[in-house]
Amino acid sequence: MSGGFALFLFTLAAAFEWGEFMGWVNVPLIFVSLGIVGVGLLVWWRQDWSYGVDGKESMHLWEPKSTGTPFQNIDIRKVALWVFLMSEMMVFTSLFSTYMRYRLGIPNCKTVFNSGDWVEGTAVNCFEPASHLIASSWFHLAPGAINTFALIISSFTIVQALRYAKMKDIDENVRRKKVTRYLGTTWFLAVLFLTLKMIEWFLGFPLPEFMHEFNHGDSTIKSLYAEGYLINADHYQHHYYDTHYLESHGGMDQDTALYAMMQEGTHPGGHMMANIQVSATTFYVTTGTHGAHVFGGIVGLTYMTLKAARGGYTPDNAVSIEYFGLYWHFVDLVWVLVFPFFYLY
Amino acid sequence: MAHYKILGQDPYWMNFIGLMVLTVIEVAAVGIELGTTITLAILTVIAIPKFFMIAAIFMHLYGDEDSGILTLTALFPAFFIIIMVLFVGLTHPDAATGLPDWCRPGNYGL
Repeated sequence: MSGGFALFLFTLAAAFEWGEFMGWVNVPLIFVSLGIVGVGLLVWWRQDWSYGVDGKESMHLWEPKSTGTPFQNIDIRKVALWVFLMSEMMVFTSLFSTYMRYRLGIPNCKTVFNSGDWVEGTAVNCFEPASHLIASSWFHLAPGAINTFALIISSFTIVQALRYAKMKDIDENVRRKKVTRYLGTTWFLAVLFLTLKMIEWFLGFPLPEFMHEFNHGDSTIKSLYAEGYLINADHYQHHYYDTHYLESHGGMDQDTALYAMMQEGTHPGGHMMANIQVSATTFYVTTGTHGAHVFGGIVGLTYMTLKAARGGYTPDNAVSIEYFGLYWHFVDLVWVLVFPFFYLY
Repeated sequence: MAHYKILGQDPYWMNFIGLMVLTVIEVAAVGIELGTTITLAILTVIAIPKFFMIAAIFMHLYGDEDSGILTLTALFPAFFIIIMVLFVGLTHPDAATGLPDWCRPGNYGL
């Protein structure tokens, strides 16, 4: 499946260049890659499906064990999942490395603005971390913070689903209800995660009137899209980088070189324009890749919740929940790193 | 499932509560504006135990029969991760073009 996904991404990238369709040469390969992914999914599904049906006695227990060293007697699916997760770890590491490289190497927009080393009307190439917008107030931070708690809670609910699925000394109906409830809650939290991400990226949200004063008098929290934080933003402007706005709102930091230069009249000030394509791209690609994994989890959870509702999980086949749980915990694990370094810092 | 307890309590509950508390501290550290360096230090210090708590307890890399070999499997890419972070993540974007002459193709023999 990992190979299929890799081939899919490569062939899709080859089929399009700067948004232009490059011809039909790569299209068959795209379908081949999707076929590989599909076969992988079918094998997994078959192994899950081959267990007892409708909660009845297991009819076809088929969980092959690894026979070779060093994974002897460990379920092959479990080993495969761990190898898959490690390949996933490499994917996210490459994204983090890219982020670190650019974040450390390109001057920060705030530093450039404060240095006064820019001219109004000419875009300056600088790094604008998304956290500058997201962590600017509690309201802006709310979707990301709620998402963090949602993922942690969902990690706990999936473990609880596994716990009840494995319990032998409880009534079958109680087990069915508990497992369905916990898997359903996990599904809900995953959907909540993506919904809040859409709000944060594209929609924004209105504030009740009594809260306007805590948001500089504004009635809405703008989305990143509305703020102009886009992957093609080569003329990005923000009121933080406007000397007139800062002067009129008491935001001019008197310790900065810019303030001194403006006092001396050696710099006219104005509204700095920035090319932030690199910073926006690293943010959207990394958090988007994580979001795609959450979406994959929702697909799996939908199937599992429906199966659980039909009483499809027993102590004999609860390992399927365990294996999905490993994937889901990994998604949480990645977020543990994405949240502080992309949203907070 | 875990066959051990943390402070005499269910490990999953304890882990869950611990993760929630650490996340509250994390968010609060940003909200109270402690300065860039201190904030980054706090975020890093909190992210590390959170990472291990999820991996060890929720992902059963601690306490199960096969935890040892699976932990080794999980650590396998660590070597590549270190290479990527150190030699890609911590280099300058101009590092490739900014190499000294003796370090460029065709000049290895000095």
